[in-house]
Amino acid sequence: MKLSAHYTRTSIYITLIVLLAGAVIYYFAINFIAQQQLDQGLQQQLTEAEEYVRGSNQDPQQYDLDKDHAVFIKTNEQELQKRFFDTTYFNPKEQRKEVGRAVEDLVKLKDTNYKVVITISRAGQKYLIEVITIITLALLSGLLSVLFITNKYFLNGLWKPFQLTLKEIKQFNIADVNQFKGKPSKVHEFAELNEAIREMSLRVTHDYLNLKQFTENASHEMMTPLAVVTTKLDTLIQDETLSAEQLAQITDIYSSINKSSRLNQSLLLLAKLENKLITDEVPINLEGMLSEKMLQFQELMQTKDLSFKHNLQLKQVQASKYLIDILLNNLFSNAIRHNNPGGFIIIELNGDELSIKNTGAIHSLDEQVIFERFQKGKESQGTGLGLTLVKNICQHYGYTIRYQYESGWHTFVLSF
Amino acid sequence: MKILVIEDEQSLRENITNYLNVDGNICESCSALNSALQKLSDYDYDCVLLDIGLPDGEGFDVLEYLRTNQKNEAVLIISARNSLDDKLKGLNVGADDYLTKPFHLAELKARLMAVYRRKALNTNNILVFNEISIDILGRTVEVNETAIILTRKEYDMLLYFIANKGKVISKNAIAEHLWGDEMDMHDNFDFIYTHIKNLRRKLLDAGGKDYLTSIYGLGYKFIG
Repeated sequence: MKLSAHYTRTSIYITLIVLLAGAVIYYFAINFIAQQQLDQGLQQQLTEAEEYVRGSNQDPQQYDLDKDHAVFIKTNEQELQKRFFDTTYFNPKEQRKEVGRAVEDLVKLKDTNYKVVITISRAGQKYLIEVITIITLALLSGLLSVLFITNKYFLNGLWKPFQLTLKEIKQFNIADVNQFKGKPSKVHEFAELNEAIREMSLRVTHDYLNLKQFTENASHEMMTPLAVVTTKLDTLIQDETLSAEQLAQITDIYSSINKSSRLNQSLLLLAKLENKLITDEVPINLEGMLSEKMLQFQELMQTKDLSFKHNLQLKQVQASKYLIDILLNNLFSNAIRHNNPGGFIIIELNGDELSIKNTGAIHSLDEQVIFERFQKGKESQGTGLGLTLVKNICQHYGYTIRYQYESGWHTFVLSF
Repeated sequence: MKILVIEDEQSLRENITNYLNVDGNICESCSALNSALQKLSDYDYDCVLLDIGLPDGEGFDVLEYLRTNQKNEAVLIISARNSLDDKLKGLNVGADDYLTKPFHLAELKARLMAVYRRKALNTNNILVFNEISIDILGRTVEVNETAIILTRKEYDMLLYFIANKGKVISKNAIAEHLWGDEMDMHDNFDFIYTHIKNLRRKLLDAGGKDYLTSIYGLGYKFIG
């Protein structure tokens, strides 16, 4: 639900409640005032009637010709509390009954007690209340519709700068050169919001550049000593007096350096992937790249006497060539490395999926942990980062990778 | 061939200079951007080996300098950075090749020879080593004026060995040269042997001398 809708709903509820409560209070107040006025009128007429009766000394029943207006009734009661009450009134002009208001009191004339009842019409008051009610209701509905329309159209316009800012935030890409600008707004809150976002984006971009710098520096710092060791060894092996044993040791050192450099590169690449520092996307023909990889790994497969089958359909992806290269290298390496001598590799590619299937150990790997960092088989000579890289590259491009095992066949399926 | 090595790490610089200072090559070195620019303005070189991260600035400035002064040195960048934009940036502003640390000296020399040959291609595109002559453009090889047919890997290997003649080269270095350092070899270099064996046989069959010697389990040497 939109904020403006929330606002409209709340303001309409509140208006409705306040106006309805107001109308009720208004109704009772008007009613009360009108009754007071009627009662005053009645009191006055009562006083006039009593004075007239005492003054004329005649039978009060002769007082008014209009029997419906004031009535004197002989009574034996000695005491009667004066009271005002609602009753019906017969209007002689209109010849119909109307709502009325009456007063009764006791009048003493000589020894006779008369009960006097004076009635007047309340129709005027009723009419007044009806008119006031109609006006109030009209005002109420008018106010509500104005409120509704205002909120719906005018307030939506008020939120426009916010929506523009939001759109710009959605399009913000840390790797872009374009900075967040934000449309200038006269509304203080929006101007402040834009300012805050601008500052934040500057800070983030700055941190991002720092991080990138750090990644590169870290790489530099670690690679240079490795380069020194490698070149020292390259120089050392030129010595013709070295024994076979010493050369074997040097071979082992070469392997270790190779492994640390590979490890270092993988870790840096993982860091880059996690920080989304790789953005050089180009269209890649996957089937072409797979064919290249098969050639590249041909010798490696021959040494293990592996047989190879493939079924490749055309598939183009938008990705970094470097990353796809690493992805395929790792999947191929694994399929070869963990294969049995004389085993099989089957590669299938269609529009939706790439599957690499190989024979190997006759037990399933734990799908939960194989993609974790530094999870590797006991005999494995790898860095333990290969499948982590595969998974992260897949995540980077929104692909999914899953592992299946079925009677001696290990399959990695990549869905685009 | 006159080479300038611009590298701030002292032991690396010394190793490179020593390795390259053979066969009448003249190899000079410096460790900072300023001295590099000074040397480049004073002398002409055939090749420049350039480290990108220098203490007093970015190595890209050297490329910029060479370009604006229309100097014709072949430039091989050596850098620990493998980020792609560096690579592109370097190649776009006039570097001829890019080598990521750590590298083997044999690889460095082979690449250096390759960029040098590419620059000097117009004047000389035949590489002659004793009875072997290689047409760099046509990628064909003749031994005693008889053409021999080599596979791509054998051809690359021959060029690699000739560039590093007289040096012991480890199997790691050969494998990285032929299959690229992206590919994990699993420390299994048996398949190199097949290529070496074939190359050697083809050279011998055409009447060439036996140049290739195996150095125990470590690697090979092309006797020059």
